[in-house]
Amino acid sequence: MNNNSNKMFFLFILFFSTLISISSNSWFGCWIGLEINLLSFIPLISNSKNLLSVETSLKYFLTQSLASINFLFMILIKFSLLKNFNMNNIISIMMNSSLLMKMGSAPFHFWFPNIVEGLSWMNNFMLMTWQKISPMILLSYYFNKNFLIFMIIMNLIIGSLGGLNQTSLRKLLAFSSINNLGWMIFSIMISENLWLFYFLIYSMMISMMISLFFLMNMYFMNQLFINNMNFFIKLNLLINFLSLGGLPPFMGFMPKWIIINFLLINKFYFLIFIFMMTSLIIIYYYIRIIYSSFMFNYFKMKWVNLLMKNNMSLINLSSFISISSMILSTFIFM
Amino acid sequence: MLIYDIWFLFIYMFFVGNLIFVSKNKHLLVVLLSLEFIVLSIFFFFLVLLMFIDYDMYMLMVFLVFSVCEGSLGLSILVSMIRSHGNDYFQSFSML
Repeated sequence: MNNNSNKMFFLFILFFSTLISISSNSWFGCWIGLEINLLSFIPLISNSKNLLSVETSLKYFLTQSLASINFLFMILIKFSLLKNFNMNNIISIMMNSSLLMKMGSAPFHFWFPNIVEGLSWMNNFMLMTWQKISPMILLSYYFNKNFLIFMIIMNLIIGSLGGLNQTSLRKLLAFSSINNLGWMIFSIMISENLWLFYFLIYSMMISMMISLFFLMNMYFMNQLFINNMNFFIKLNLLINFLSLGGLPPFMGFMPKWIIINFLLINKFYFLIFIFMMTSLIIIYYYIRIIYSSFMFNYFKMKWVNLLMKNNMSLINLSSFISISSMILSTFIFM
Repeated sequence: MLIYDIWFLFIYMFFVGNLIFVSKNKHLLVVLLSLEFIVLSIFFFFLVLLMFIDYDMYMLMVFLVFSVCEGSLGLSILVSMIRSHGNDYFQSFSML
């Protein structure tokens, strides 16, 4: 690992920038936090000198800088129209659009699978979890309910239908992340505490999956069909994929359950239908991967041996957490 | 009043800058230049806004510092791209 101290420095500034953006008194401070976020994330991803990482960092820079410049312009327009509340609808739509572009949400999502394809697993983890925090919280400060409901529907549909034709694991997780963004945007409209709950559980699930893929150095779906893979690794993969999709006994079901509860309380019946159907499509393509990995005798090479004897405790722990945390969480109140 | 027609200039400049940003160009440098043009329009807007309400210009300086940092970051990515691809044409993007 070269340039380790550089990475620590930029990582520290990345964490700090999110805190600046969240805890600022004015919109201008939020913009400053977003700029520092961009400034410190680009050196983290453009570290190696091959063609792929240059192209990735270029695309990331272009979309994010456009979004934050638009955000600042809308802040200034909001500042200049002092008591003209007629313009609130347009301004809130524009500000939400620029924040949605920063997150990689649905009508502005085209950069997201491309960039995720070009990053390593650790950089993907930062992009999928930490980089979503500050646009989400800024979205909760000034959102337009009707616009966001439309964006949620687009997020869900694009996230579920986009992943059907993918063979790369990174793009699969990217589309799954876009789908989960739909759930998270709805939870922001309910309360910020609920968003935090969903986000923590989502980032825990993503971290389990990404750590597994990182340890096995797997980037594509045909690498999952190696016959010598330990049974417990495959089981862990099954549990984590199903938990990410939101099936009941696993951990990923609980935040979705609570959000469905709030959807029913607020009488969003059509939205519930779309949430359910797109979740079904996502579980379909997860199961398609996992059952193939369990049952096919796809690829039998004697000299590829995935012996993971040293790291089994981490895998067992993550499986245990995924299976039992929903039931164990009810023991808090005992 | 005629004095308020200045707002249309800012929106027009911003809109033109965005238009060039999203257009199909041959070089990457044109995109970075359009980004700087948008920054310039926001600078002008901020200046006139702060003058109208008689504030001090400190926020303007902070904005200038951050947007210059962003411009230099774009240029460094351009340099990195030229070092690896040889030019800054958009047609050389084929990997993703």
